[in-house]
Amino acid sequence: MKKYLLASVAILAGSAACAEDIVIRMAAPDWGPTRFMQDYANETYTAPSGNNVTLEIDFIPWANFFDRVNASLNSGEQKYQMIVSDSQWLGNFVEAGHFLKLNEYIEADPELQAIMQDVHPALVAGFSTYPHVPAEEIEAAGGYAPDISYYGFPQFPDAYFTYYRNDLFCDEAENAAFEEQYGAPLPCEPADWDDVTWEDWGNYGAFFTRTAGETLAGETLSEDVYGIAYQAGKPLDFSTMQINAFLWQWGGGIWDESNEPEAQVMGVVNSPENIEAFETYLSLLDYAPPIAQTGQMGIFEIQDLYMQGKIAAIIDWAALAAPVVDPATSSVADVTSFAMMPGHMRDGEIDRSANLGGQPFVLTSWNDETVTREALDVVKWWLSEETQIAAVKAGGQSGLQSVMNNPEYDSWSPWNEYFRRSLPWQKDLWHVPEMFEMLTQQQEEFDRAITGQISAEEALNNVAEFQDELLRDAGRLD
Amino acid sequence: MHLPAAFTARTSGRGILRWLNAPERRGPLLVAPAILTLLLVNILPLLWSFGLSFFNYRANRMATPRFDGLENYVDLLGDDRVWERFVTTGLIVTGSVGLQLVVGFGLAMLFARKFPLRRVLLMLVLTPMMLSFVSVGIFFKLFYDPTLGLLSWFVAMFTGEPFAIMATPAGAIWAIVIADAWMWSPFVMLLVLAGLVSVPDYLYEAAQVDRASHWRRFKTITFPYVKGLILLALLFRTIETFKTFELVYLITAGGPGTATETIAVYAYRLGFQNFRTSEASAMAYLILFIVIVLTSLYLYLVKQRNSEEV
Repeated sequence: MKKYLLASVAILAGSAACAEDIVIRMAAPDWGPTRFMQDYANETYTAPSGNNVTLEIDFIPWANFFDRVNASLNSGEQKYQMIVSDSQWLGNFVEAGHFLKLNEYIEADPELQAIMQDVHPALVAGFSTYPHVPAEEIEAAGGYAPDISYYGFPQFPDAYFTYYRNDLFCDEAENAAFEEQYGAPLPCEPADWDDVTWEDWGNYGAFFTRTAGETLAGETLSEDVYGIAYQAGKPLDFSTMQINAFLWQWGGGIWDESNEPEAQVMGVVNSPENIEAFETYLSLLDYAPPIAQTGQMGIFEIQDLYMQGKIAAIIDWAALAAPVVDPATSSVADVTSFAMMPGHMRDGEIDRSANLGGQPFVLTSWNDETVTREALDVVKWWLSEETQIAAVKAGGQSGLQSVMNNPEYDSWSPWNEYFRRSLPWQKDLWHVPEMFEMLTQQQEEFDRAITGQISAEEALNNVAEFQDELLRDAGRLD
Repeated sequence: MHLPAAFTARTSGRGILRWLNAPERRGPLLVAPAILTLLLVNILPLLWSFGLSFFNYRANRMATPRFDGLENYVDLLGDDRVWERFVTTGLIVTGSVGLQLVVGFGLAMLFARKFPLRRVLLMLVLTPMMLSFVSVGIFFKLFYDPTLGLLSWFVAMFTGEPFAIMATPAGAIWAIVIADAWMWSPFVMLLVLAGLVSVPDYLYEAAQVDRASHWRRFKTITFPYVKGLILLALLFRTIETFKTFELVYLITAGGPGTATETIAVYAYRLGFQNFRTSEASAMAYLILFIVIVLTSLYLYLVKQRNSEEV
């Protein structure tokens, strides 16, 4: 008996000795969704392999997230095993050899295939494919097709929608005044926003823009209040994210990278539809806070002003909704409702196309086979139904259709319904390595138009000329 | 006599120490670590980036860099966008350094006198130049904010309208100039003040006896004493403002459009946003060349002044 006991102890000790200590270090922006991932991993993650795997997230402030990741990757320090990447960076870092192509692993693993089939096609298209494949083709392929190259999984998917003050939009006196002026009621319930167009949005903007001393919802204002706001900022990709929605909704578009080298720039980027869409976007800034005139109205500025009760309705990302409904940080926490973003009526139907938000996470190319397998197990854990439901209940969003189809999904947070319904409308910006130059120049031109230095047409002509030359030099245009 | 090996080793070790400790070698040896560090962290990267500026290297591409000779320099000097940024930088340098000299000189004249709470006020006035660029940038961004900022609130008291200084290219340039001048006028003040307090009192007493006017006293006594220091302040501040990056990046991000994008911000965008590493290196060398020209100009002026005095 003693002999058997000793043997068992020896086997256990042997297996413990075989278990490797592995640290999966992941670069990630410092905010709620990644903080939750770290905390939840610490609490719940156990590697199925038996190794002692630790997920260690390197939290980097958003303001210099790209600079830090870029410097780390290009310096060759090989510090990270995984990275939360913006979807648009895929081409750049794939072509530089930093991100791991996942096809052989997905091909060999039914569990990963099931995940790719479960992830919403708009997210597979935007977050995973390079060269870019549109969502329709992903849907037709059932999520996974061997001839498509896959690189990422959704860490945090996002979409923008409307935040509005129901104390203003549901106020009886304001409603009566609005109806008298515009011949239609204000949208009080979230469902009322389903038919709201940009024209209506402009009317709400004009109606609710009041100066100090005027009355709003029965109270005399001590400060100016503004009607509406959306992204109009030069830093990062702020203006582009909102303007793209207008371009797509008006039937225009951006250079179609999935169709290179036939896809053209001239006549597309500066098409009459794009010009009209951009003019509409610019005209609505008249009802935004004066920061819009400076080209500095980014997502955080909008959120901040809205939380101070200075704007009646805004359009912002789901990721920024939690502080807005927290009484500790927001003066309008109790009177905020969420709804779909306005759209453009085309051929009798409302178009709500918008630019995809959020980030995928990817594996780096220098990991050895053991680390790669462990990192993929972390991916499976994160994209398991249980973890995703926990993430959504903590205020995040899930990209898994099985989670979004859960009958309780909409009740887990007041904006989930609008994220879920917005997702099928999402398209993404370019993913080619030239993206950075295209985006920087486009932001500059958009900013000139936003600050009134040039017209919408001039801005789009300048953008088209620049992109045409750049993409021709890169061999991406015929 | 046959000496033990250990003793020989000890004496030869002492010999090396004695050789190293010789007075003619002591100096070079003491500065050697500093020079080595300088070579490793400064000169080597400088030479490396100078070499890169002749290639078509991009840090985000796998392709082997190709030697392009002077192409990057030719392209940059023929690029309208580069000249636009030089003009913007020139405007900011002229406005900011001019304002710093006027304000700094005025403050120095004030603090050269004795008055109650002078020391406390002097410390407060010096505070801006001790703050980090990030703090100053964020402070001014909020200060200029048309909805929440103090400037807009103050202007609105008279006009009834919010004021967005950064809504126009000229306004945005002024916004940068004011922030930079606020931060660095104390530096000019400090230099000029050092000159002012070194003026011997008897010169002023003699001028008073001669009933010289304030202007004459300033022209013939004060200014000659501080002229060299003003030139030094002008040089330092011109070079530093020419390289302005942080305040622009934080306050306006180069906008509206590219109205406040300085040459240093443009070099950053070329290198770290557009990944045109070699072009960005060439751009950095063009900036360095201009800084060297400015420094040489200053040294020439100082030399001229010294020869005039002799």
